[in-house]
Amino acid sequence: MNKSMKTKRAVGNAITYATLVIISIIWLFPFVCLFLQSLRSYNEGGGGMVEYLLPKQFSLDSYIYLFSEESKFVRWYGNTLVIAFFVALFQTIVVLCVSYALSRMRFKGRTFLMKFWLILGMFPGFLTMICLYFLLKQFHLTQEGAIPGLILIAVASSGMGYYVVKGYFDTIPKALDEAARIDGASRARIFFTMIIPMSKPIIIYAALVAFMAPWCDYIFASYVAFGYSDSYNVAVAMQRWVWTNDYQGFFTRFCAGGILIAVPVTALFICLQKYYVEGVTGGAVKG
Amino acid sequence: MKKKVLATLLATAMVAATLVGCGNSSNEEGGASSADNTAGDASTTNTADSSASTDSSSEPVEYGSGTIKIWVAENVVDFTQKKAAEFMEANPDMAGYEISVEPVGEGDAAGNIITDVEGGADMYGFAQDQITRLVSAGALCPITGDNASFVTGQNDEDATNAATVGDVVYAYPMTSDNGYFLYYDSSVVTDPSSLEKIVADCEAAGKNFYMEINSGWYQPSFFFATGCTFTYDTDNDGNFTACNMDYASDKGLVALKEIIELKASPAFQNGSSISSGTNIGAIIDGTWDAGAAKEIFGDNYACAKLPMFEGSDGQKYQMSGFGGFKLLGIKPQEDAGKLAVCHALAQFLTGTDVQLARFTEVGWGPSNVAAQQDATVQADEALAALRDQLAFDIPQGNYPGDYWNLATALGDDIISGTLSTSTSDADLTAALQTFQDTCISYAQ
Amino acid sequence: MGKFFRGVGNDFKEIGLTFKEGDWKTRVSYLIMGFGPLMRKQFVRGIAFLAVELLYILYMAGFGWNYLKDIGTLGTVARVVNDNGTYSYNDNSFLILLYSILSIIITFGFLVVWRMNVKENRNEEMLLAEGKKLASGKQDLYSLLDSHFDKTLLAFPVLGIFVFTVLPILFMICIAFTNYDAKHQPPTSLFSWVGLENFKNLFSFGTTGLGPTFFVVLMWTLVWAFFATFLTYFLGMGVAIMINKKGIKFKKLWRTILVMTIAVPQFVSLLYVYKMFAADGLINSYLMKWGWISSAIPFWQDPTLAKITIIVVNLWIGIPYTMLITTGLLMNIPEDLYESARIDGANALQMFRSITLPYMLFVTGPFLLTQFTGNLNNFNVIYLLTQGGPLSMTLANKAGHTDLLVTWLYKMTVNDTNYRMAAVLGIMVFVVTAVISLVVYGMLPSVRDEEGFQ
Repeated sequence: MNKSMKTKRAVGNAITYATLVIISIIWLFPFVCLFLQSLRSYNEGGGGMVEYLLPKQFSLDSYIYLFSEESKFVRWYGNTLVIAFFVALFQTIVVLCVSYALSRMRFKGRTFLMKFWLILGMFPGFLTMICLYFLLKQFHLTQEGAIPGLILIAVASSGMGYYVVKGYFDTIPKALDEAARIDGASRARIFFTMIIPMSKPIIIYAALVAFMAPWCDYIFASYVAFGYSDSYNVAVAMQRWVWTNDYQGFFTRFCAGGILIAVPVTALFICLQKYYVEGVTGGAVKG
Repeated sequence: MKKKVLATLLATAMVAATLVGCGNSSNEEGGASSADNTAGDASTTNTADSSASTDSSSEPVEYGSGTIKIWVAENVVDFTQKKAAEFMEANPDMAGYEISVEPVGEGDAAGNIITDVEGGADMYGFAQDQITRLVSAGALCPITGDNASFVTGQNDEDATNAATVGDVVYAYPMTSDNGYFLYYDSSVVTDPSSLEKIVADCEAAGKNFYMEINSGWYQPSFFFATGCTFTYDTDNDGNFTACNMDYASDKGLVALKEIIELKASPAFQNGSSISSGTNIGAIIDGTWDAGAAKEIFGDNYACAKLPMFEGSDGQKYQMSGFGGFKLLGIKPQEDAGKLAVCHALAQFLTGTDVQLARFTEVGWGPSNVAAQQDATVQADEALAALRDQLAFDIPQGNYPGDYWNLATALGDDIISGTLSTSTSDADLTAALQTFQDTCISYAQ
Repeated sequence: MGKFFRGVGNDFKEIGLTFKEGDWKTRVSYLIMGFGPLMRKQFVRGIAFLAVELLYILYMAGFGWNYLKDIGTLGTVARVVNDNGTYSYNDNSFLILLYSILSIIITFGFLVVWRMNVKENRNEEMLLAEGKKLASGKQDLYSLLDSHFDKTLLAFPVLGIFVFTVLPILFMICIAFTNYDAKHQPPTSLFSWVGLENFKNLFSFGTTGLGPTFFVVLMWTLVWAFFATFLTYFLGMGVAIMINKKGIKFKKLWRTILVMTIAVPQFVSLLYVYKMFAADGLINSYLMKWGWISSAIPFWQDPTLAKITIIVVNLWIGIPYTMLITTGLLMNIPEDLYESARIDGANALQMFRSITLPYMLFVTGPFLLTQFTGNLNNFNVIYLLTQGGPLSMTLANKAGHTDLLVTWLYKMTVNDTNYRMAAVLGIMVFVVTAVISLVVYGMLPSVRDEEGFQ
C-alpha cells in the first residue's frame, strides 16, 4: 500500500518534471533564437531573415554595428535609460504621495476623487494621443524636447495608478500613526520617517514597474519624437528596422539590439523578483 | 504664447512689406511673384560651379537665416547632408540656413507631416502615391512659374505628371525607378519569362517565390496585364472627381483567377522585401532592394522584366505594373526668404548632377532626362530590367489612400482563402464588382 | 441628484445670507476676493484669494477669451496664401477648442474659489463674534504639512492628471461631435461642429456605414478578452500548482524561466515571435523540412487561425503573471482543509474543484475583472503580432479580422488621421468597459459577501 503510494508519487513527480521541462523550453525558445540570430554573420543572408536556427557563421557584426559611429544606438539606449530612470524616480514619488493621502487621510471629495479616477481609467489611452502631442508641442516638449516631454507625460498621469501601493499602506496598522500623532508628530513627519521606511518592498516594486515601461513605449514616443532621430528611444528606433522597408538587412541588428535591452532589464528584474511578486500578489488580491 | 503670435505676425508683416517694396520697383505683372523670381534665378544656376553668376549678385536678396529640416530615407541621409553642404558652400548668400537631415522613411514622412504640418520637415521625400493625400492636407507648397518650368523642363513627362495634381505641380521628381520587376536566383529559375515556369522551378527546388499580392501597388500587375484600366481624375486641391475602372469584367476575372492560382502554389509567399524573406528563389521587387538582392543571391544574382502568364482563358499575358516616382516636396512656408532657399535647394537636390551622383552612390535611378542618358545609368542591370518592364507598365497616377487599404483587403481575402480556386466565377465577379464599386465611391 | 440640487440651493441661500449679515469687509470681498481676510490680518489667506482673482482676470483677458469667443464656430479664417507664395496661418480650430475647454474649467474653478472666499469671510466673522482668535499665517502654512497634508500631497498629482488626462479626454469627447479628419486639419483648414453625425455613421448599416464592421470588431474584442483572461488564468494556476507541488525541486528556477517574458520588452519578444510564425518563418520552414506539412500553415493569414495563434501566443505572455500571483495565494489555503478532504477520500481533482478553485475565484475576483478590462484594451499583443490583419473586403475602414476596438482606434488616429471616428470609437470603448465593470463588479462574490471566504 505504502509502496504503491510512493511509486504513484514518483510517477506523478516525473510527469510534472517532464511538463515543466517542456514548458521551460517553450518559454526560453524565442529568446534562444533571438540570441542565436543576433550572432549571425552579416555575410550570411545579409542580415535579413533566414529560415534556419543555427547560424552557419558566428560573428559579432551586429553588435559592432550598434556600437559603431554609423548607428545612433548608444544614444537611443541612453535616452531610454534617462527616461526610465526619471520616470521611475518621479512616478514612485507621486504614487507614494497619492497613496498616503488616500490611505491615511479622510478629506472632503476623497471618494469622489477615487471614483473619478477609476472612470478616467476606462478611457483608452490612445484616444488622447493626438491631443497630448499638440499639448506637449505648446510647451515645446516635442522633437528636440521629446525626452523631458515623455517623462512629464508618464509622471503627470501616474497618480491614478495608486492601487497597489495604497493597498500596502492600508495594511500598516493605523494605531502606529495615532501613537505618533499623540507624540506631536505632524502628518508629514509620519509620512517621511515612519511610513516610507516601512514600505521598502512596495517602493521597489513601484519603481521597478515604472522603470520597465519606457522600454516598450514605441507608439507615443514615436509621436513625440516626430522624426527627430536624436530623441528616439530604443523601441521607436528599432521597430522601424522590422516594419519599414528602408532597413534592408537590419534583422540581425534588431535581434542584437533586443538582446542588449533584454539582458540588463531582465537581470534587474530577476534581482528584484521577490519584491515584484509581493507587489503583484498584493495588488491582485486588493483589486 | 501671445507674444510669440505677435512676433510672428510682425515678422510676416515686415517680410511682406519688404517684398511688396521689391515687387513695386521690379515688376508689375501680378503673375510672377518676387519669391518665384529669386528661386528662378537659383534654378538656372542650380549646379554648384556656376552659382556665383551675375544674376544673383545684381539683385542681392536677404534670405534670412534659420534651419531647414529635411526628411529622407535612411540610406540617403548622409548623401543628402553632403550635397546640401555643397549647395550652401556654392551659395554663400543662402548660408544663413542650417540644414538638418533626418532619416524618416517615405511612408512615415507623409504620415507625420499630415499629422502636424507645422511640426514637419521643410522638405521631404515621398513616394508618388502619397501626393494627393499630402495636397489635400495642405502639406505641399505649389510650384509655380519658373520653378514649375524647371520640373517640366528637366524631367521626363511621366515624372512631371507624377508630380502634378490637377494642373498644378506640387513636387520635384527625384527618381523614376519606383517600379518593380523580377529578381531571381539563376541557379533555381531557368526561364524567367514565364510565371508558371518560375513558380514550378521554385517548387521543384523547395524555394520561395515572393510577390506582395495584398498590396495595391503590385496587384495591378495582373489586372493591367489582361487589359483592365484603373485611373482617377483629380482637381487642383487633391480631391478625386472621377474613377475610370473596369475590373468587374471578363478581363478582371482572368487577372483575379491568376492571382488566386499563384497563391495556391506552395512556393508562393506574400512579400516584397528581400531581407524579410527567407529561402528566396525569385522575388518581385524594386531597384531599392538591388543591394540586398546581390548579397542574398551572390553569384546567382539575376534580374529581368516581369514574366508572362497563361490566363484561365488560355491566352498569354505580359505582366504589367505601376511605373512610379519618388518626389521631393516643400512644405508651405511662412517666410518668403526661406521659401526661396527651399526651392533653390530642392532644385539643386533634384538636378542632373545630384541625381547622377545619387545613382552612383546609392543606386537610385534618375528621373532627370539628362541623367538618364548617362552611360553608367544605362549599364545598370537592375535599371535595365526596370526599363524593359516600364515599356509594359502604366505610369502611376493618383489614387486615394483608401484604395491601398481596399487592395490589401482584397489580397488578404485571397491569401486567407476566402477567395480560392474553388470559388465560383459568379462569386469572384461579385467580389470584383464590390471592389470596383467601392473604388468608384472614393471619387465624389 | 435631488441632494445635489438641494446642496446648490443651500449654497445660494448661504451666499445671500453672508452678504446680508456680513460687515463691509465681507461685502467688499464679493468683488475683491480676499479683502476681508486681509483687513482681518489673515495675510496668507487674503493674498492667496486676491492672487487667484488677479491671475484669473489676467488669464481670461490676455489669453482665454481670445479662444473662448470662437467656440461656437471653431474659427472662421483658415490658412491663406499670400501673393509671394508664402502662407499665413490664422484660426486654429484645435487650439480654439482646447483652450476654450480649459477656460471653461478654469472659470468653474474660479467660481469654487470665490465661494470659498465667501465662506472664509463668514467663518472669520463668526469666529471673531465668538471672541476666538483667527489662525495665524504660520499656522496656516504648518497645517499644509499636518491636517491639510493631503492638499500638499495631492496638488501635483491632481494638477498633472487634470492637464494631461482630464483635459485631453474632454477634448476628445468634444471631437466626437466635430468633423476633425484628414480633410479638416488645423492649421491648414478648420473643423466645425457636426452634432451626432459621427455616431450615426458608426451605427448605420448602409453600404457606407461602419455598423457591421463595428459589431464584428466588438464581438472579437469580447471573445478575445474572455479567452485571454480565463485561459491564462487557469493554465497559469495549473503551472503554479505544478511548481508548488511537494517534492518538486528547483522551484525558483522554474519561476525565473517563466518570468523572463515579463522582463523582456514585448516589442522585442513579440516581434520576434511574429516572425517565427510567419508563413516563411522558422516554424513553418522546419515543419516543411521535416516533411510534416507540405505547404506553410497560414498562422497569421487565415482569420480563424490568426485568432487562435494570437490567443496561444498570449498564453506565453500571460501565464507567468498568473503563475506569480496564484503562487502566493495557493500557499494561503489552510493545509488542514486538504487534510480533511483527503481523509474523506477525495482525489486531487475533487480537491481542486471543491477547495482550491472556489477559494481562488473568491480572492482573485477583482483581479480577473481588471484583467478582463485590461485585455479589452490589450494593444501590444495584437498590434505587434498581426497589426489587426488579415484585412477583408467585408470589413470597412481598414479594420482587420483580429483588430480590437483599440487597435482599430489606433489605426484611425495614426494612419488615417480620422480623429472624429477615433473619438467616437474611444467613447464606445469607454462605454463597453464601464458597463462590463459595473455589471461584473456587482456579481463578484467578494463584493456581495463581505464575510469573506469561509
